[in-house]
Amino acid sequence: MTSALPMTEVIKPSGARFEAWVLAAAVVAVLVALTTYVRLQGRENEPAPLYDWQISAFDGLTGADQAIYNSLYTVKDEIPVIYDDINRFNEPGVKFRWPNLQDFEDWLLPPFHRDTSWEQNGSLQWSLHEPLAEGEMQGSTMYLGTDGRSEGQGSFLLIIGHVHAGFTNNNAIVIWWNEKNHVAMPESGFRDQLILQGWREVVAYSGDLEVKRLFGDPAEDAPEQGAENVDGLLEGIFGEQQ
Amino acid sequence: MSPLRRTLLRVMVLLLAASGAQTAAAKTLKVGITLHPYYSFVANIVGDRAEIVPLIDADANPHGYAPQPADMIRITSMDVLVVNGIGHDSWAFEILDAAAMRDKLTLIYANDGVSLIPVAGDPSGAKVVNPHTFISTTAAIQQVYLIARRLGELDPENATYFRDNARRYALQIRKLRAEFDAQIVGANLAKFRCATMHSGYDYILQELGLQVTAVIEPRHGVEPTARQLAETIDRIKAADVNVLFAEKYFASKLSDTIREATGVKMYSISHISSGEYTPGKFVEEMRENLTTLATAIKEAGQSG
Repeated sequence: MTSALPMTEVIKPSGARFEAWVLAAAVVAVLVALTTYVRLQGRENEPAPLYDWQISAFDGLTGADQAIYNSLYTVKDEIPVIYDDINRFNEPGVKFRWPNLQDFEDWLLPPFHRDTSWEQNGSLQWSLHEPLAEGEMQGSTMYLGTDGRSEGQGSFLLIIGHVHAGFTNNNAIVIWWNEKNHVAMPESGFRDQLILQGWREVVAYSGDLEVKRLFGDPAEDAPEQGAENVDGLLEGIFGEQQ
Repeated sequence: MSPLRRTLLRVMVLLLAASGAQTAAAKTLKVGITLHPYYSFVANIVGDRAEIVPLIDADANPHGYAPQPADMIRITSMDVLVVNGIGHDSWAFEILDAAAMRDKLTLIYANDGVSLIPVAGDPSGAKVVNPHTFISTTAAIQQVYLIARRLGELDPENATYFRDNARRYALQIRKLRAEFDAQIVGANLAKFRCATMHSGYDYILQELGLQVTAVIEPRHGVEPTARQLAETIDRIKAADVNVLFAEKYFASKLSDTIREATGVKMYSISHISSGEYTPGKFVEEMRENLTTLATAIKEAGQSG
């Protein structure tokens, strides 16, 4: 005959220490994850690093000057189209030319076209310098906008540097800004001399940069920041660059 | 195999190959779009030489859109998708991921070549990208040219056709500005001071040289706190703002509150993000928007 001996099992009271640590760790993990998410998704647009001779259109220019720059930025894409339009039916031997201010007027092209927005944005006075012969003005076509009437308004310079005249190694269209309200047409379109005269290259915060910030680098063929190479556009129109 | 049968077989293979090549050459692009303006842009660029497939239903609200199963079916039928890509159609990337198409489908980022501006009137002073580049004329034209170039790269045979169409369409958009100008001849623009319900109109107002004094709800769907609203109302009163632009399709009780508190006159602007997809929608609604702006300017000029 066997008899079961009474057994006593001592059960330790469940301490809250372990659970507390687990809970604290979970809270910290959630906070870290949320902070990282918010930083990635909701962060402000940090300005791209610029040289001291450059200025950001996004947070360096304001008011009328930002509006004028954004119009000029679109002009960079339209100049090759207008170039095509005005030279398409040239007789053989006729020199191809870049658009003048009257062409821009005919195309209703801001910021050159004298409409209400031109007045509202300070009525900049535009002038054009065309290289008359190869080598003159280092081969650059320059459009100068100055003497604006808006308070604190600067001046703009849009330069088409021509590869055939030795200005640059590509047909670049570059936009410059000068904080001075009145400036004369520069004698040279070369970068170093422009910088000495107080000009700063304007750099856009363009959509491709925002896409890269949001998604990494999905757009491999996105246009470059700053100087816009129009070779591809012109080749599509005339074959080899004139 | 006899030489005759071999020759016949080669001829058949060649004929089949030629037939296949012709089919491939005749294949038209299926171009997907996410937002109404991009339907109009693409339709005017491609004419009848491509098919356009809207990613979401026409009556869906693209603000905070919740992807639907049918979207995944549509996206797999596309050869290329045109996206805003900078915050106004982030749901398109959810659909791409859900359909496992992110690495397979060619995307055209319409804003690749647009110089972006910050959202106006953010109370924190932060410089946050404004994605409403399509409520504009100049920024819209920039996108039209870019889309035409990218489509031309995908369909080289029609590249010139696309570019010429883009050029014509750009001029059509630009003429809207001339029409606007004609409407405000003689108006006193000095009296025009505006606030907007949200930042959707920053691009078009900047292009027209019109400054925004205050934005009630700088970020879509993020309503201001009571304190921010009170500060905005004070700012509107102090700056003598006389015009408030609100969204035509998406009503907000806030606009009534602002109007009652400040006495500003309210006008509705279209976000071009609702209704049927049509080639003419963008130009028609931008014309309507510019007419509304012209009316607001004229009436503000006549106010005491």
